Amino acid sequence: MTSPGDAAPVKPPPSFSPGVARVASTSPSRYPGEQEPPQSLDADLAEARSVTSPGPLSSTIADLPLRPGSTHSRSGRSSTPQLARSSVGSPLDGRFDGSEDIRSLIIRSFSPTIAVHASEDTDDLVRNKGFKGGFWELIRPFGETVPGKVVIRDSIGSSRAWEDYGVRFVDFKGIGRAPTGRDSGPLAQMEEVLSKHLDSSEGLLGASVRTRDVLGYPATTPLCKLFLQQLLCSGPAAPHETFGHPVANVIAISSRNPAPLETLRQLYADTTTGNKQPPEWVNQEYLRYYVLVHDEERDDITESTKLYDQMKRHFGLHCHLLRLRSSQCVVTDDDSMQVPQCEWLSPSEHLSGVGEAEALVDLGTDGTPYLFDSDATSIRAFIRELVVQSVIPFMENKVAVWNDQVASRRRGISGRFMSMSRRWAGFGSSSRTSIAGSSGGNSGNYDSVQHFYGPDSPEAVLRKMADFAFMLRDWKLSTSTYEMIRSDFGNDKAWKYHAGAHEMCAVSMLLNPLATSAKIKLDSVDQLFETACYSYLTRCSDAPHALRCLSLAVELLKSRGGSATESAAKWAMRVMDFGLVGSVGQILYTERVAACYACKTPHGAAKWGGRRRKAGMWSILAADQWLKAGKPTLASACLEEAERLYADVLQADGAFPMPEMQSFVDNLRHAVRVEYLEARGFDAKGPPAPEDPVGTEETSEKLDKRNHRRSLIGLPMQLDAGTLNMTPGPRDTENPPSDDFERA
Amino acid sequence: MALSLRNPTLINRDQHKMSYYFTILSPTDTPLFNIAFGTSKGGGDGIARFRFPETAQYMNQFIIHSSLDILEEAQWTNGSMYLKHIDTYPPAAAYITAFLTPSGARFLLLHQPPHLPSSTGSSGLGASSLLGSAGSTTRASSSSIAANPTSPQTEEAVRQFMNEVYENYVKTAMNPFYKQGMEIKSPVFRTRVTAAGKKWL
Repeated sequence: MTSPGDAAPVKPPPSFSPGVARVASTSPSRYPGEQEPPQSLDADLAEARSVTSPGPLSSTIADLPLRPGSTHSRSGRSSTPQLARSSVGSPLDGRFDGSEDIRSLIIRSFSPTIAVHASEDTDDLVRNKGFKGGFWELIRPFGETVPGKVVIRDSIGSSRAWEDYGVRFVDFKGIGRAPTGRDSGPLAQMEEVLSKHLDSSEGLLGASVRTRDVLGYPATTPLCKLFLQQLLCSGPAAPHETFGHPVANVIAISSRNPAPLETLRQLYADTTTGNKQPPEWVNQEYLRYYVLVHDEERDDITESTKLYDQMKRHFGLHCHLLRLRSSQCVVTDDDSMQVPQCEWLSPSEHLSGVGEAEALVDLGTDGTPYLFDSDATSIRAFIRELVVQSVIPFMENKVAVWNDQVASRRRGISGRFMSMSRRWAGFGSSSRTSIAGSSGGNSGNYDSVQHFYGPDSPEAVLRKMADFAFMLRDWKLSTSTYEMIRSDFGNDKAWKYHAGAHEMCAVSMLLNPLATSAKIKLDSVDQLFETACYSYLTRCSDAPHALRCLSLAVELLKSRGGSATESAAKWAMRVMDFGLVGSVGQILYTERVAACYACKTPHGAAKWGGRRRKAGMWSILAADQWLKAGKPTLASACLEEAERLYADVLQADGAFPMPEMQSFVDNLRHAVRVEYLEARGFDAKGPPAPEDPVGTEETSEKLDKRNHRRSLIGLPMQLDAGTLNMTPGPRDTENPPSDDFERA
Repeated sequence: MALSLRNPTLINRDQHKMSYYFTILSPTDTPLFNIAFGTSKGGGDGIARFRFPETAQYMNQFIIHSSLDILEEAQWTNGSMYLKHIDTYPPAAAYITAFLTPSGARFLLLHQPPHLPSSTGSSGLGASSLLGSAGSTTRASSSSIAANPTSPQTEEAVRQFMNEVYENYVKTAMNPFYKQGMEIKSPVFRTRVTAAGKKWL
């Protein structure tokens, strides 16, 4: 996100670049058993740490002496501890290494939703394998990355291959229903998840909270990514946008079923009638995909093949025979593999303990289920076939049809006339409708009582078409479609639709890599976000969506680089100003502002146009806030970041020209250091006695007794960690140069 | 009558008072001169009341310092010495106006309107002074430039202020005992700047 390439005004999405082999890179790091360090540059460092088992602990000790508060600390030095601390086993780190991009995260968050509706016997079969949630839970993590390239044709017929395509499997029964059990809103839940994550990372993985990509540019913190991810998958399906609506429905039966065809018919009927059917604002025209799960251990394959042939005859091409073993897999089995973790867990799922498994994995005990390799292979093959051969063509087809039948009619001269005359008719009939008191909408398609359009109305269809185009990553078409419908929603006073269309219009404008006239469009993009935000917040008081909208604005504008970063920073400040985020979120957004300014790099010989001082200031503020929140580790990371940023603009000695600033920064440094040491001291359960000498050493730092000091600090830790086979080798070889630097 | 008039003006004074922080920076970003003052117009008492708590006055310097980023950019695109309003720090509603001297010294003025929503709310509750306060509100906003920091009137007033300070700065800098890049300690200069602040801001 802040790689130097971002400075270029237009950047193709990550998947265009040949270097991104997402599938290949994720598969090793997804299974923490293999302990593959994600970054090659500090591979040896990380390796050295993975040998010493109390990784975070030793690393914090290692970089402790490197964190003096002297004013002479310069960028060259302060990057050393960062390298030493990057990429320990935080559950997020492995998945988002330097090559990953926040853009890709955003793009992947808007992936097609596929509902899973499995028969009772299928769920039973899968439950035997250790997946309590049934078939849905089994295939869900595999859907998030479709293996191999996915080729999508856009509306003008050109094909493009994507490496990072994914789909989201949801439980059919849960569509359109808010997750039950918790009464707090999604924003409060997110805050809770964040603070929980913070606590656990403070305790477990101490200093691993900030990564840095290869060139030393500030990476997005994992915490920030977690926040964004939570935000992007927090909401349940809503009427005003169809990203959560099913694109397809997987209907699954197993070979154990005594009356397979009858069951299939029943499951199909569930999707259209009865109390299990999705809410009425969901368009019923989605793809049905039939899966026969064959039990390899108990049932006869010939029988299943026969049944499968019968299914194919009945239902056509959209069928699959999935062969699974029915017994539970344990770690000790020969071809066992850990089930990949779900990347997109909503805040409530995080809180209700789905994410718990991650923490357990870090401790070395396995809480996640295992799966046979053959099962995983067949599930992957199934998902690839489902997506590539059925879902994508279905969506392409739908977009083409709607584009032809609905959109082009609107685009044509008669369509314009129709919508205009409707508007005038609306004015004329306004008195009549107000007397009647019924739906005051102009088009009559909008149900202003229940606040949604009927799924067959042209507005809803157009919105769905735009969303489909968006999910197919045809941002040109989606932009123009959103553009076309956004004013209609305003006329109908369908404010949530209005906000959503404006939001997505701006987002797809920013995602479109071909829109080069960035300079001209920035104003209009800002205007779109402004309108969307106003509609969400003021007209609908929908804070989660407003926050999502603004966060998308921040991240996408930031990734545009150039002058867009300034409006990114502006939007980030706006988020804080609106009070959409809690206390942790406030600090995160302070960091984001710093990151936004930091990625506006100076250019030209005169070196102007940078925002280093602003970025540095915001980093310092973030450090101050982290410290107040009692997170000295994060505070020190921010402080180092600030030092790095200020390095270019301050005098050679690194001192601030203004006395009050200098004293504030000095005090902050000192406080961070003291708290950091205290926190470490308590965490490591060392005797409290050494803290005092440590504290006095702090103040007498200029005496340059560094070696003694290090031994003092190192002592209690080594007493504690000596049994854990800690080798102090790598950091001793690393420290002397920095000490010399300090003396200089 | 006199008493009843006095009360609302006291409230008003806090409401419409702009706070200013004026800095002269050397070409190497060293501060040569600092002064904080408040509006003297519209019943202001000339004392700065920034939004930050007393312990956080360093924020002014941070904001000024961070606006140098913008200043360095603006000085190449704007031909005149007076660069007008160049930067804003939205969380504290601090506005930065800049003036460049030919010798490379930078005059930076941070102006910050007081916290409006809370103070209006609290004064509105005082029902006895409701009428009086409303009357003097209009008077104060018409005469003071605090109402809108980016309005042309404000720009003009700041320009006058900057020019006056610049004249005095040139005189001070021509003093044989003053060396370029030294901190300006002259009490005469300080009083002149204060006077200019009183006169224009």
